[in-house]
Amino acid sequence: MSAATLPAVVEELLSEMEAAVRESARIPDEHLLSLKFVFGSSAIQALDLVDRQSITLISSPSGRRVYQVLGSSGKTYTCLASCHYCSCPAFAFSVLQKSDSLLCKHLLAVYLSQVMRTCQQLSVSDKQLTDILLMEKKQEA
Amino acid sequence: MAEKLRQVLSPGRAAGPGEKNAAEVEPPLLLLGGPGSGKTALLFAVALEAAGDGRGPVLFLTRSPLQSLPCRTPAALDPLRLQKIRFQYPPSTRELLQFLCSAHETPGPVPSLLLLDGLEEYLAEDLEPQEVAYLAALLLDTAAHFSHRVGPGQGYGLIVALQTQEERDSGDALHLSLLQRYFPAQCWLHFDTPGPGQCCRRACLEPGGQGPRAEWLVAFQPDGEMTITPWPTQADDPSSNKCSSSRGLP
Repeated sequence: MSAATLPAVVEELLSEMEAAVRESARIPDEHLLSLKFVFGSSAIQALDLVDRQSITLISSPSGRRVYQVLGSSGKTYTCLASCHYCSCPAFAFSVLQKSDSLLCKHLLAVYLSQVMRTCQQLSVSDKQLTDILLMEKKQEA
Repeated sequence: MAEKLRQVLSPGRAAGPGEKNAAEVEPPLLLLGGPGSGKTALLFAVALEAAGDGRGPVLFLTRSPLQSLPCRTPAALDPLRLQKIRFQYPPSTRELLQFLCSAHETPGPVPSLLLLDGLEEYLAEDLEPQEVAYLAALLLDTAAHFSHRVGPGQGYGLIVALQTQEERDSGDALHLSLLQRYFPAQCWLHFDTPGPGQCCRRACLEPGGQGPRAEWLVAFQPDGEMTITPWPTQADDPSSNKCSSSRGLP
């Protein structure tokens, strides 16, 4: 799988969910079942993160954007907006090393919050956005 | 980004309207080859090609400054094109990350193409797998940001050159498989039987599901001139699988 795009079946599911949200402001049960079928327990955890409004889209005047997700443990993880990257350990292990997951729950939560339009928005300065992206690096080190 | 490389590899070949559209959604490209396989020369030729197409400047990142012009082509002697190539020499992974993370703070014209030569020199700093992934992801994110700034319809390019080893250890293989996640399109430079007085490479472009695979013969004359011709036995037959099996080879 490419890190920039989701498999077509997931793209299709997300766009169907988006259409359903637009029309009826809710996600039909069969879509939720499909989500659980594809992503397993991550789907429930991701929906929980969305319910708790744990996803923040941070943008600066330059137009550059990044997501931050407040994990269930209270730690904040950074997810890039343009390609699949999350700073959480599950992404490093299950997605990058073992390749047995498509996404971690935080990245899935980012996608779902886009579909359900429940992202928190935060504007920061260009310099602050740089620090957010760099701080990411320091957390890892 | 395979299209820009195609333009270099197939000089004079006009891009049709369909191809121009394809260029806008082109995936970033990883340029792979052994030591001395001509990656820098090819990357520089791409920079010159892009500098001549009337768009924004070209950003050329590499750890150590180029000692000389890596290829002799008429375009390399055009000072206007050379002026449009902006070289940056981040001396360490830390500086490279700093550069990418703060790229949106840089004022001035937005680059139309981001090139990174010698990624292996940064990877040699014993990066954790997640750090390699973050570096790759940040390269994509920076390119995506530039693309956003130049506006729709302009297209944007990212090519990263990585040296592969003959004797690859498991760490290198892990790095490569991580990078391939983020760079679905790859171009391999393989050594080929040299003709008299020249050294030849076979360039195999695997555009990652976007367009056909293609092969060229890249020859370096003793005076440094680079000539590129379509691979003589190039077959459109998809069953000829010489190239796609190269992933596991040096």
